[in-house]
Amino acid sequence: MTLPDRRRRWHLATLVLVLSLVAAGCGDGGDKKNVATDVAEDAPRGGTLVIGAEQEGKCADWMGSCGGASWMFWTYGALTMPRAYSVEKAGNTFEAKPTSLLTGPATLVTSPKQVVTYNINPQAKWSDNTPITSKDFKFTWEQVAKGDKIYDRTGYDKIDSVDDSKPNVAVVTFKEPYADWRTTLFGGSFGIYPAHLVKDHSELTDGYNWSGGPWKLDHWTRGTEWVLVPNTNYWGEKPKLDKVVFKLITDTSAEFQAFKGGEVQAIYPQPQLDAVDQISAGLPGAKAQYTDQTGNSEAFSMNTSRPPFDDINFRTAVAYSIDRDVIVNRLFSGVGVTKAIQTPTAAILSPFASTSAFAKYKKDMGKVNEAMGKSGWTKGSDGIWEKGGAKATFSIKSTVGNKRRELTEQILQQELKTAGFNLTIDNQRAGDLFGDQLPKGDFQMALYANVLTSFYPSNCNLYCSKNIPTEANGFSGNNYTRTRVPELDSLYGKVESELNEAEAQATNKKGDDALANHVSVLPLDPLPNILLTSTKIVGPVADNPIQGPFWTMWGWGLNK
Amino acid sequence: MLSYVARRILFSIPVLLIASFLLFTAVRATFDPTARLRASRDPEAVQRARAELGLDKPVVAQYQDWLSGFVRGDWGESSSTQERVLPVIRRAAWHTFQLVVWGVLISAILAVAVGVFSAVRQYSIADHALTGMSFLGLAMPPFWFGLIAIQFLAVYPRDWFGLTQTPLFFVGLRSSTNVGFGDYARHLVLPVLTLTVQIIASWSRYQRSSMLDALSGDYVRTARAKGVPRRRVIFKHAFRNALIPLVTVMALDIGALAGGLVVTEQIFSIPGMGRLFVDSLLEGDANVLVAWTVVTATSVIAFNLLADVLYRLLDPRIRFS
Repeated sequence: MTLPDRRRRWHLATLVLVLSLVAAGCGDGGDKKNVATDVAEDAPRGGTLVIGAEQEGKCADWMGSCGGASWMFWTYGALTMPRAYSVEKAGNTFEAKPTSLLTGPATLVTSPKQVVTYNINPQAKWSDNTPITSKDFKFTWEQVAKGDKIYDRTGYDKIDSVDDSKPNVAVVTFKEPYADWRTTLFGGSFGIYPAHLVKDHSELTDGYNWSGGPWKLDHWTRGTEWVLVPNTNYWGEKPKLDKVVFKLITDTSAEFQAFKGGEVQAIYPQPQLDAVDQISAGLPGAKAQYTDQTGNSEAFSMNTSRPPFDDINFRTAVAYSIDRDVIVNRLFSGVGVTKAIQTPTAAILSPFASTSAFAKYKKDMGKVNEAMGKSGWTKGSDGIWEKGGAKATFSIKSTVGNKRRELTEQILQQELKTAGFNLTIDNQRAGDLFGDQLPKGDFQMALYANVLTSFYPSNCNLYCSKNIPTEANGFSGNNYTRTRVPELDSLYGKVESELNEAEAQATNKKGDDALANHVSVLPLDPLPNILLTSTKIVGPVADNPIQGPFWTMWGWGLNK
Repeated sequence: MLSYVARRILFSIPVLLIASFLLFTAVRATFDPTARLRASRDPEAVQRARAELGLDKPVVAQYQDWLSGFVRGDWGESSSTQERVLPVIRRAAWHTFQLVVWGVLISAILAVAVGVFSAVRQYSIADHALTGMSFLGLAMPPFWFGLIAIQFLAVYPRDWFGLTQTPLFFVGLRSSTNVGFGDYARHLVLPVLTLTVQIIASWSRYQRSSMLDALSGDYVRTARAKGVPRRRVIFKHAFRNALIPLVTVMALDIGALAGGLVVTEQIFSIPGMGRLFVDSLLEGDANVLVAWTVVTATSVIAFNLLADVLYRLLDPRIRFS
């Protein structure tokens, strides 16, 4: 090969490389127009809305063990999967309401067995025009209860049979009473799967473009974006926007920059300090919605199986040492949340909550002295409690790198110091904390949030003794505080199976009061939800603690 | 030379095996891929997943399972997304590849120009200014520079000039609604700038140093004494020789860049190899991590080898042994 030949080949190779990169830049963007019809509201039609998404789900198989990611379900699953009941605001609280999939509320028979009958709207259909029938209900139950790689069988494992003999009537018979049937079953965070389109739930791993909701998937480019377009065959009101793009922006600073720069028109950031600070500083051209009516509950959890928190007097003294309002005010006053919550039950379930159960725990040094004295602690010359030569020293664990929690711990440390306790901060990687140390009881005090996964109290999951993780059960169960109180087992256990809602509410309240007396947990704040939208967005923008902030997006329009 | 290359490739196999085994073991020992399932209300979810992922077997057996599949072209399944690993790696590598190619191309041109100019005008005001800027570039953390660049080159100009959108984009590598090379270029500028600032600073120092060495060489002095024009002396004689050390450094750096640009990819929401590594690590996704390690290590080994070969090609006095 001569030198010029070699040069020509290099030039050719360079040209090919550059052209391939240019071609990459010119690749398919797939801009498909799909204008909605049947629009009754005033919001403008058409346009593409770009929303910043902080997280991407692992898959679109909502019931699969790769599922369970809230963000992906809010932005895809909740908008494409039909559901029997949805959680909607009613006055100052939320309640479960039948969706247009049903002709009315499902009928409940409680004796001799629990039987729920769903009457399906004959107009309800999948995006391929196939009617949604009782076969889909049965298929969904069979997949969750008997399929492989399932995230959570709760509730579906209580079903004995689903009668699909009539296409428009699904009759569900239970093996044992299950109270949370409205919001966990045939909706919840799984939706209803189409029996005629899916053989096995795992087929949905990489996404699906059929739909039983107002939107359907146009494409999902993993790690980058997922794009929804209107489902033109939806039986209800059709979306006004042509397209909605969810762009993955995992860095909070970049997310705010993208919102301020107009690259995205809505964001739903986690309530971290920098997010609250940015909002407090003002965001021109933005509408902000904050709510403390959430399914989250951040709390100080105490390990009742390990010293010093195995002593109820010690736990009580610590509870009377802290001014929780001071902490909450410092964290969230920028978004209008200034008071600590006083119940372990999530804020959106207020009819079930004893909302002032923990209100007695205010900073009161007299009560600290009394409680510590009962257990034989005395104050040393350095002002720290001591007993048998040991100082009242303990550690708190939380997730490392979480600025909000770090600040909470620092304020807590100061508060406890003045009350005579030494607190050391020992934060851990989230994987280690939740995957290993909390289940194995390797902590004294911990700060983390309990997140509601359905619209029903799950306090038994957190505080019934049957849910204490042990070696025998493979460290399963979420009762990390090792709370073992027969009264709580009875009360919270009854809530799980009580079909009379008023009775369930009263029982749960009694449970909250009993837990406050046992004080294995000290509720702190509801982790407010923050939704920021551009003023260009018009329509019913309303956050929903269970179905997410985008569930009414069918009514959104975009001003020029 | 071919036997040398073959020998180097052969020696790299045990390196890859050891690296992949160590990483596999470390990930299994420290990360629990079922941790996420503990949020499930279903008490059996974790145990089911452990059995399905084969976590109940000894680590060595798990590694053997992975290795036997890997050598047969089956890179396994991601434990967190249940996707096949090969397309996951391919997709991430393509994003990183685009950044690296543009970054290296621009960095190489600018670094060589700056380095040569500084050396030729040694101790001039321009040389001092470029040296100062190089040190500034080296000292600037990419995460800080990236965010500042977004603010000053994208967000503020939009406000200052009343534009409907930012002149430069900073989320991903393309818009969903606007395709074409212009859109692609507007997405590329900021991440490539963030990536290149440190590289240009570093490479320009190498280039300046090796150019100064070359300019003080006897053969340059001889050429000047013989009356060869200055431009010809600089570019024909000194520059070609001064490129040799830089080419080696570049080859080594490019190999390392293939592992991803964690900070740049995070700030600019680019799903490349760096972000894949971090995400997989946090999920304890051993199959993806080990495949990532093999790809990255292979790239480092390949570019090391390329550096040696290029060295030989650029300097015929060097012999392989």
